[in-house]
Amino acid sequence: MTQPIIDIKQVSLAFDKFKALDGVSLSVNKGQCIVICGPSGSGKSSLLRCINGLEPFQSGDIWVDGVGVRGCKNLPALRLSVGMVFQHFELYPHMTVLENLTLAPIKAKGMNPSEAKKLAMHYLDRVGISNQADKFPARLSGGQQQRAAIARSLTLEPKAMLFDEPTSALDPELIAEVLQVMRDLAKDGMTMLVVTHEMGFAREVADEIVFMDHGQIIEQAPVTTFFGAPRTERAKDFLQKILSKI
Amino acid sequence: MDWAVVTANAPLLIKGLITSLKLAAVAIALSFPLGCLVAIGRLSHRAWLSKLCGGFVNVLRSNPLILILFWFYFLMPILIGKSINDLTSILCAFVIFFGAYFAEIIRSGIQSVGHRQIQAGLSSGLSYRQTMQHIVLPQAIRAMLPALTTQCILVLQGTTVAYVVGYDELLHTTAMIAERTGRPTEMYLAVALIYFLICYGGSLVSRKFEKGQGQ
Repeated sequence: MTQPIIDIKQVSLAFDKFKALDGVSLSVNKGQCIVICGPSGSGKSSLLRCINGLEPFQSGDIWVDGVGVRGCKNLPALRLSVGMVFQHFELYPHMTVLENLTLAPIKAKGMNPSEAKKLAMHYLDRVGISNQADKFPARLSGGQQQRAAIARSLTLEPKAMLFDEPTSALDPELIAEVLQVMRDLAKDGMTMLVVTHEMGFAREVADEIVFMDHGQIIEQAPVTTFFGAPRTERAKDFLQKILSKI
Repeated sequence: MDWAVVTANAPLLIKGLITSLKLAAVAIALSFPLGCLVAIGRLSHRAWLSKLCGGFVNVLRSNPLILILFWFYFLMPILIGKSINDLTSILCAFVIFFGAYFAEIIRSGIQSVGHRQIQAGLSSGLSYRQTMQHIVLPQAIRAMLPALTTQCILVLQGTTVAYVVGYDELLHTTAMIAERTGRPTEMYLAVALIYFLICYGGSLVSRKFEKGQGQ
């Protein structure tokens, strides 16, 4: 069996006395799309931040494509292999969209600027906003901004992508265009770990659903099993609440 | 009122003004980088460095500029056992004093850029230094331009403190002329107008930066 792209083993993370993560284990294989859901404060976002070393955790370890995160000597190199997309996009407001995309390839990867620009335009085209390349982020709609942020991560040509509630800050009518981009990515075989409450997306795209609560993985199951017959009361409860909204 | 005394002494006033402007320019050129270093030190995760820089800022900002000038002018030569030339003591005092003020402006500017922007930079493989340089500082400088401009005006006004050690900046030059000609009213009104024009002009620039920020 090939090794997972992301391999999380017994990770615990505490802020003072509050346990954000409590012995979480999870593997994501190449080409898999796993959706993490759960109530807010359950540790979903913290888990994503642990994977690329943004949040130093106290015990356990995580391997990204075989490289251990804990005690990693070269975090920037490790981070190049996992793209991250944020709830609030986090585009750099003082740079054009194109500059947003080329900054890390040029500075972190040492790519030459014209090559980086070509690559950036390729990915902007892929998310359907190549005509916005020379605008500043503030001039774009929320959906376009998030697509630009996804393209920014893709420009690093990562082995896996982490999505941290990518549509939660968007107006309802803009969510679809972002989900479409993510759907296409998953179809093209990108390895994805997605924190989201978009159950429609999860049902259609995810290979597995992970349900988290109080810093633990309560349930992990293939999509059909999870939606058809959640094993735990808490997952049932959560699903009911979230699906009744639609 | 006899304004002829002002026009007659215009070349001296201009010379004094140039000295003041030069003093302010050098003080800013040296205290701004010092302020950057202290601000970054203050935001450091190393507790000792953060405390040291915080202490520096608090001590300097809790003392009048004139007293700090006295340290360097009177006390330092005694402490190190040799004389320091006037300009050096003046500049030392200005640089550390205004460095502390710049440090505070820069610190709050850096903090105005959300930590999520830092996370975005780091997560894209940039080092902490690169994230600071390309993402945080350009935004922070934009946010702090109005305050920085105002501080530069205050530095120019602060150069008048060099008067007390007899340095020939604009105010001292004016005082000498006033005394020699017996025309203090005209001279001090004229010098007030000069300071007003420059500083008010500066404050207009500052306001323009502030307005430009909403975009």
